[in-house]
Amino acid sequence: MSSSISVGVKEGIVLKPEQGYMEETVPPYTPFMAMEEASRCLLCYNPLCSEGCPAGTNPGDFIRAIRFKNFKGAAEIIRSNNILGGVCARVCPYEKTCEEACARSGIDHPIHIGRLQRFVTDLEKTTNFQALDPPPATKEKIAMIGSGPASLSAAATLAMKGYKVTIFEEKEKAGGVLSYGIVPSRLPQYVVDEEIEHVTDLGVEIKVNVKVGRDVTLDALKEQGFKAFFIGAGMQVSAVFDVPGSDLDGVTTALDYLASARSGNGKADIGRHVVVIGGGDVALDCATTARLLDAEKVTVLYRRTREEAPANRLELTHCESLGINFLYTFSPQEFVGEKGKLIAVKAVGTRDNSLLQIEADKVIFAIGQKPEDITKVAAGIGLDKRGFVVTGDKGKTSIPGIFVAGDVASGSTKTVVHSVQGGKIAAESIDEYLTKGGKQ
Amino acid sequence: MAKHADLSIDFLGFKCENPFFLSSSPVSSSYDMCSRFLEAGGGGVFYKTLTTTIPEECSPRFDAQRKEATPFISFKNMEQTSDKPYQDNLDMMKKLKEDYPNKLIIGSIMGMDEDDWEQMAKDVTATGVDMIELNFSCPQMTYEGMGSDVGANLDLIDTYVKAARRGSNLPLIAKMTPNIEKMEPPAEAAIKAGAQAISTVNTIKAITGLDFDKYTSLPVVNGKSSISGLSGKAAKPIALRFITNLAQDMNLQGIPLSGIGGIETWEDAAEFLMVGASNVQFTTSIMQYGYRIVEDMISGLSIYLAEKGFDKLEDFVGIALKNIIPADDLERDFKVLPQIDYDKCVGCARCYVSCMDGAHQAIEWDNEKRKPTIMEDTCVGCQLCLQVCPVYDCITPGKVLFKEADQFGKGSLSEWKEDASNKRDIAVGTYEWIR
Repeated sequence: MSSSISVGVKEGIVLKPEQGYMEETVPPYTPFMAMEEASRCLLCYNPLCSEGCPAGTNPGDFIRAIRFKNFKGAAEIIRSNNILGGVCARVCPYEKTCEEACARSGIDHPIHIGRLQRFVTDLEKTTNFQALDPPPATKEKIAMIGSGPASLSAAATLAMKGYKVTIFEEKEKAGGVLSYGIVPSRLPQYVVDEEIEHVTDLGVEIKVNVKVGRDVTLDALKEQGFKAFFIGAGMQVSAVFDVPGSDLDGVTTALDYLASARSGNGKADIGRHVVVIGGGDVALDCATTARLLDAEKVTVLYRRTREEAPANRLELTHCESLGINFLYTFSPQEFVGEKGKLIAVKAVGTRDNSLLQIEADKVIFAIGQKPEDITKVAAGIGLDKRGFVVTGDKGKTSIPGIFVAGDVASGSTKTVVHSVQGGKIAAESIDEYLTKGGKQ
Repeated sequence: MAKHADLSIDFLGFKCENPFFLSSSPVSSSYDMCSRFLEAGGGGVFYKTLTTTIPEECSPRFDAQRKEATPFISFKNMEQTSDKPYQDNLDMMKKLKEDYPNKLIIGSIMGMDEDDWEQMAKDVTATGVDMIELNFSCPQMTYEGMGSDVGANLDLIDTYVKAARRGSNLPLIAKMTPNIEKMEPPAEAAIKAGAQAISTVNTIKAITGLDFDKYTSLPVVNGKSSISGLSGKAAKPIALRFITNLAQDMNLQGIPLSGIGGIETWEDAAEFLMVGASNVQFTTSIMQYGYRIVEDMISGLSIYLAEKGFDKLEDFVGIALKNIIPADDLERDFKVLPQIDYDKCVGCARCYVSCMDGAHQAIEWDNEKRKPTIMEDTCVGCQLCLQVCPVYDCITPGKVLFKEADQFGKGSLSEWKEDASNKRDIAVGTYEWIR
């Protein structure tokens, strides 16, 4: 793509100079490479990597399966524990989960668990291997609201138990944050589509362009015979804070920015000089999007230090290698405009009195998201002060028969892998509820 | 879960849950050890060989051979038969059979003389185990007339099988040594004398390496060492050839074979099954990785067989035998040229180096472009380049050229041409790694 892009580095791999927005950054393993990497695995007894995976994907067992040339058995281990194994292989924060726990670190560096997982899940497609063989759907109808990771995971778990599951998605594409909120160089759309196919292959139906609470009510769904409901609505609203000049043309939010770039396959109003406000993974995805789509200058403003930034370290170093500027301990003070258009961002030091002004025609708020008003979906449902669904034991809400998991659930860790696990647990809870005849 | 084929298979009238067994060795030395393997999913065990006298062992007693960074290319073992009291072993075998009635439990014995063989067979039978293996093949026994000495001696085989038969009515399996050129005569002798099946190979007499300060072989036992049995991955090719020979022997048709030698993965096991073994045994891979590896053997083989559409494992046993033929029966009037995928080629020139120094100087090397080119006229289709290429799927079998007869007849100054009529379909190897 752009000749202005410096050569990036990720996971120790020096990337091609022409790394593009639509192209997956990290190249796949060949079978030889996968075997070489799996042979580095110490094959620990009671491996800590498996304990380190929030979704129980069980890397200890699937890496051993690779080492013993049981590639398809490895796929079965991954897929039966984590229906979004191919997604998690790409977006998981390994450094804080399985790879952090890897005993090989005591010798040199951890096994590249994510890349091995990706090798195995890719292989399902190339060999046309069906890792899951679902039973016929003979049990009750269950409706899932939203089609993000939590819903997909819950839906797959329920389908494997013989339930008839329908997912309702308000947007035109299923996947939620996977399809709208992550830069494709980290998670290409074809991967998301294939992963969703794994779920629909189990008999799960997905209805897009249907917003529950607007196009159809929960009561209407009950009349159609749905016996239990799952809310996996995610966080749809970008948080902003009051900065003078916020109404200028050129001020936007992370979700809008990422979604417009992604749905336009990279054809969108990207900006020439882009400022991103935030220090998490979403902020990095915005910065990467801007950089890979030829923005001349990309600057990330974060109010705390590099060490305090919640972003994935590998992604952070990758962004730095792409030439993205990071300014730590700065917070925006004013957006300066001319004829209604943004021309600069003024920022002030959060720990001293530094002042700076950055020329910019695009500024993006990436300081977190929050849910939409869930009472419009389920009237009277218990919400916490910030609008998250109050979540009890195993995904139960204040209303019997309505369950929740993922980002919209109160107290949840907001990552894909935690949402997968939340969906699995809530699905078990739904099964228990329906097995007891609809009593909680 | 995916679709998995049933792995159950008959062995001498016993319906085995799967064909994966521990061989009689250090890994099957006690009730506890065998039980852990059976709990991990194993189909059965050959219990560690009993002798009436506990042998004296040396320390250390193992050595593992490395190639580059890979350990356990082969493994050398100096341990002899069981180090536990005879009666304790009998008690443990009895308990194993009682606790695992559906798993195949086999006692293994090695006598010092005829009476010893007969008495041991009688004692083991009394434990209730399903069968008895007669160990004619351990190469590191310190007593003369025991171990692999027996497996190479037709008279001793005859005498000892008959002695064991007098002591037992159970099926007898003769475990044969590979330290011999042809295994068919001793195997036939064992069957003629009353054994029902053959298991092989036991370990191969070897020296894995030497000590550069103590000037002896490994492992060093107070400054000295001995030749003893080698096992592990390096033994597999030798074991596969012996099993193939036995399975193709006219006098052994219908005799079940139990394959041993370097089995680590389900693919290794499947190879033994394809050349006629109806089950397999392993030790070295267990010593290196533990009993858990049987889980991947079961999973991998059952997925593969389900995908290939085999209804029962019996149909897979011996499936390759008709395709392994004498070298002089192979067709030799064509050559399969290798082809290089230049998108994958990394320009290392390993193919060039090997072709220049190890084959037929049929690859040209452009040092500027760092590009190898195969010269069709000179290339003999040996495919050494394909074997040494470090990139997956970069060099693969390509165009097939046929020999045109000329006035000098076959094999001299022939012309090589493509088959324009497309009449001949040559089945080339796929070298596929993913299955």
